[in-house]
Amino acid sequence: MTRRGRGLLLLLVLASAIPLMAQTQDERITQLENKLDELLRQAEAIRTELRAMKPSGAAPASGAETATAEDLTKVEEVQTAAPEAGAAPQSLETVQPVENQVSPGAAKALNPDISVIGTFVGHAGDRNEFDERPNLGLDEAEVAFEAFIDPYAKGKFFFSAGPDGVEVEEGYAQFVTLPWGLTAKAGKTKATFGKANTWHTHTRPWIDQPLMITRFFGDEGLNDVGVSVSKQIDNPFGAFLEATGEIYGDNFYNTHLKFFRDLTENSNIEVGTSWARNADHDRFGGVDVTYRWKPLERSIYNSMIVRFEGLGDRGKTFDRTLYGYYLSADYQIARRWFAGARLDRADRAFEDSRAVDRAVSATLTFWPSEFSQIRGQLRRTSIDNGPSFNEFLVQLQFAIGAHGAHAF
Amino acid sequence: MKRTLITLALTLLACVAPPTTAAAAEAGGPTHKLNVITTTSDLASITQEVGGDRVTVTSIARGYQDPHFVEPKPSFLLLLKDADLLEVIGLDLEIGWLPPLIDQSRNPKIHRGAAGYLDVSRGVEILDRPQGEVNRSMGDVHPLGNPHYWLDPANAVRIAMQVEKKLEELQPADAAFFQTRLNTFKSRMNDADKRWRAALAPFKGAKVITYHNSWPNFMRRYGLNVAGYVEPKPGVPPSPSHTFELINLIKQQSVKVILMEPYFDHKTPQSIADRTGAKLVVLYPSVGGAKSGTDDYFSLMDINVAALVKALQ
Repeated sequence: MTRRGRGLLLLLVLASAIPLMAQTQDERITQLENKLDELLRQAEAIRTELRAMKPSGAAPASGAETATAEDLTKVEEVQTAAPEAGAAPQSLETVQPVENQVSPGAAKALNPDISVIGTFVGHAGDRNEFDERPNLGLDEAEVAFEAFIDPYAKGKFFFSAGPDGVEVEEGYAQFVTLPWGLTAKAGKTKATFGKANTWHTHTRPWIDQPLMITRFFGDEGLNDVGVSVSKQIDNPFGAFLEATGEIYGDNFYNTHLKFFRDLTENSNIEVGTSWARNADHDRFGGVDVTYRWKPLERSIYNSMIVRFEGLGDRGKTFDRTLYGYYLSADYQIARRWFAGARLDRADRAFEDSRAVDRAVSATLTFWPSEFSQIRGQLRRTSIDNGPSFNEFLVQLQFAIGAHGAHAF
Repeated sequence: MKRTLITLALTLLACVAPPTTAAAAEAGGPTHKLNVITTTSDLASITQEVGGDRVTVTSIARGYQDPHFVEPKPSFLLLLKDADLLEVIGLDLEIGWLPPLIDQSRNPKIHRGAAGYLDVSRGVEILDRPQGEVNRSMGDVHPLGNPHYWLDPANAVRIAMQVEKKLEELQPADAAFFQTRLNTFKSRMNDADKRWRAALAPFKGAKVITYHNSWPNFMRRYGLNVAGYVEPKPGVPPSPSHTFELINLIKQQSVKVILMEPYFDHKTPQSIADRTGAKLVVLYPSVGGAKSGTDDYFSLMDINVAALVKALQ
């Protein structure tokens, strides 16, 4: 082939390739355009999903970095609600798989609050025949479970494990949305008789129970399975007035009237009266008075509570009315230190005698934190027609888990 | 005659009958006053700004007491019993005292999740959300984030917006009234924030010590740095070893100011100030924190910014 012929052939080949190249270029451009469109769609879809998945109130880093919101008239609420319907991808061709982030707490959201409060007590001094304790022992481990049952009621269980085994200290449903100003509890509860009878071990300001409780109601106090209904009563004194009626399984009835009033911003007084009757037709009448002082500006450092509680028991068993009372004062010396004293007097109601026991106690409490405390108590108990016991009790108490605040 | 009598009776009735809610709203007068209870005085102040004379607002905690530790007294139950709305700071600030009050309030309207319950933390910027495990060895830490967020004026505006929305929901007849007041509040807050920014601008980046971690939102907004805390851990009183470390830190980093809330003891921070030459300044974290001069959110911030500027000069 001549040079001219080779040039012509090359030209022909090139000429034939031109449409092919143009076609390839067009295809590639179309493909690229399609890819670009696809990418844009995907980017939009990702943006939409990111908006939807953005955690509520995303926490910016703390520090000296100045906040960005310069114009407060343009500030927007930090959204915690679900994304609006319009934020969903429009085309189903662009739907992407969603990788839901599992919130660490979500799986436990419906679990009850669980807490354990351990109380260990050491004892030194005379052996008190009415309150025998080992030199060192577990006084109680209270295990508590609390949660809403449904929109109408809360469920609360308090198990008490001690040297004598495990028992349900309290376990009840508390109905918190009743009409007519009512609240109610149904289940095993401590009777609303005075103040000391209603306290759990860890809410007492002392290591032991007052004689008034142990001599009349035993170590566990007055409690049973039943129903308790309370009503708040409007009154012209600007006071909180609440009447409580309780019926327990074994033909045991209890009523309580509570009067509370602020005296000043820093002080208040509470007066209660109780009346109960048990299956043996023993009738108990009680009165409790509590004065509290807590200056608000120093509320975490200083406070004082003075308490008096007394009861009378008139029943078929005895030919006379039996009495018991305690008078106590507790003063918060510093943020973590408390000192207190208590006087006790009680007829020995659990046996057929005319014995009257008396006691005097002094306490000193240290709180390493809100969740633990160390308490010492010096106690001198004078037994009627018997010896006096001088004892030193020391208590270590600590809480783990989420323990709901108790009523005032 | 009968028709005349009926017409007369209806006319008389129309004259003596009180105006309807809609008519009152149309006339610009107050309709029904919503009874709002707030857990803190800051929420009360902001709600009053938005609600004006269409709301009655009462705070449970006083501005000069530690809002973590409020006694759940029965007298508060009397407040809650008749509340149309309960506003809370949330993030577990009130966990130690509010739940038993709500349970015993005998007012289902204000139970958590009900229409009359507003947790304003849901719509604000929250700092110090713990990452990873949270336990009590870290002190009385808030697992959901720092609850002292109201001290950033931007969050105050966000709180106001949520309050406005809720008031509007509870009392739609006054929607326009609440909206107008919200806009006024935003505008006033914006002007005030410019003033506070300008006052603190010369001290941007300055380091301070605070007693408790109450000021992260405030410091972030105004470009100040918290170099350390008097408390070794949240809610834990200062220990001698931590105090010694803090004194060294203040000297090394030339920190000029120690800030404390009015309800903490002066003794330790004053001692640190004496040993380092730093100034001890009381800042008020809540409306009403000082017995006078902190009557609302604006005056609270005015007094705090002025005190801070004076100390940093």
